[in-house]
Amino acid sequence: MKNPFKTYSAFTKAGIQDAIAYRANFLGFFIGEIFYCFVMFFIWKAVFNSSNSPTFMGFSMIDMTLYLFLTNITVFLTDTDSSYAIGEEIRDGSISMRLIKPIKIDLSLLFFELGNKIIIISMVFIPIILGIETYRTIATGGIAFDIVQFLFFILSIVLSYLLSFYLNLAFGYLAFFLMNLWGFNMLKGAILRFLSGGAIPIAFLPIWLQGTLKIMPFASLNYTPVMIYMGKYTGTDLIYYIGLQFVWVIAFILLCKFIWHLAAKHLCVQGG
Amino acid sequence: MKRIFKLYGTFVAQHCKRLMEYRIDFLTGAFSFLINQVINILFISIIFSQIPDLQGWNYQQIIFIYGFSLLPKGLDHFCTDNLWKVSYFIVRRGDFDKYLTRPINPLLHVIIEDFQFDALGEFIVGIYLVTSASIKLGLSFGVVDILFLIVAVIFGALIFTSIKIAFAALALWIKRSGSILHMFYMSSDFARYPVTIYNNVIKTIITYIIPFAFTAFYPANYFLTGANPLFNIGGVVVISVILLGISICIWNKGLGAYESAGS
Repeated sequence: MKNPFKTYSAFTKAGIQDAIAYRANFLGFFIGEIFYCFVMFFIWKAVFNSSNSPTFMGFSMIDMTLYLFLTNITVFLTDTDSSYAIGEEIRDGSISMRLIKPIKIDLSLLFFELGNKIIIISMVFIPIILGIETYRTIATGGIAFDIVQFLFFILSIVLSYLLSFYLNLAFGYLAFFLMNLWGFNMLKGAILRFLSGGAIPIAFLPIWLQGTLKIMPFASLNYTPVMIYMGKYTGTDLIYYIGLQFVWVIAFILLCKFIWHLAAKHLCVQGG
Repeated sequence: MKRIFKLYGTFVAQHCKRLMEYRIDFLTGAFSFLINQVINILFISIIFSQIPDLQGWNYQQIIFIYGFSLLPKGLDHFCTDNLWKVSYFIVRRGDFDKYLTRPINPLLHVIIEDFQFDALGEFIVGIYLVTSASIKLGLSFGVVDILFLIVAVIFGALIFTSIKIAFAALALWIKRSGSILHMFYMSSDFARYPVTIYNNVIKTIITYIIPFAFTAFYPANYFLTGANPLFNIGGVVVISVILLGISICIWNKGLGAYESAGS
């Protein structure tokens, strides 16, 4: 068998070129994200100023600031186009081109996005992490950076990305049956935003809901890596949540294979 | 002018046919919008479950500002949704050429070609929140206030439209500007909170540079407190007209610089 990395590295190269070609789009988006974080920071600052307690449901202002920036960077890193990309290809029929090539559709998309991510990591991720650590050092008056915790965070974020990719791919495959995905994409976005803790930190929700949300795959998308970075998950918790992420990744890879198997049989190319 | 209305009618009819074809799509879109609103209100409620007021603003006042912000946003969303497609893919796929070959102003054509029924959801939720908050706060609206409300909503919508035109026009140079537009558009969410909570840099940005504060907080502030109508309502009109002028200039420059992205 040929080395898959050799076959698919061409896609990674194309991904890098794509990211560089649309770098203005990228940088604009990034600046917006930072702006967004700062505005949320001020909203929370006003909340803390109006409150008599130094913590808000167990979060201090420093925790909240870290949470904001980390959640945004995690969403940015684990964001994937797979659902949209595959949905569009199914809708306009260009999916047939992928079917006749001797490559796996999921791996070619994955390696293409990897190229995109390389650019994001070098341009966005590293500066943000440096910024966060500088803030944390000044705010807490000591270096809180823990290399072991950071490595677990990286592992967790890789799992988050894979989960995000396969979850979205499974969703994109729905276009085989529904043809037009626009509305469902909106619905998915709205539900994911809530279930993954992107809109409201899961810790702020009622206890019974927290338990359910933490087991579901969506918390694994960005809440888990953020909590690991913040040191809220340690010891057996840490192992448990990373294990859970791993299980969900496998489950969604299998689900994708299953849907693909079903769909490829009754593929009907629209306008093809 | 009459011809444009006639054309608009034709486009509307075409669009309705498409809507019926993809009606599940439309319903899920509207439903997801509703979920988002519920989440946002829930977020505000959670914050207020812990604090009595947000730097002097109480829960109902914040809900009023939030509800008001949906009105101009909804109006713009209903009318000019096609600008999103220009910035995301119409230019990149080379489909923009068609607008240049028709005997109608390209910008006008882009705008009247499409409209979004989903936006009605925004409008209905907005009206509901504004009304219920007004009743709970005991606000009274005179004839002048209602007139001001209509003016603020229409010109507030123009601010959204102008921002969308300017950033969609960017695609005429760089082919794809969807993400940039998205990011600026999303920043309108911050105008839903009293600008007094921000520091001066952010306050200046959302008042004068991307002036979304005029689509929500400033006019809502007038209706809540009666303060400074010249700035809070007059400002909406002045800012939106200036912004629209700038946007149209950018759009026209973009048309001049446009090279087809044909494939």
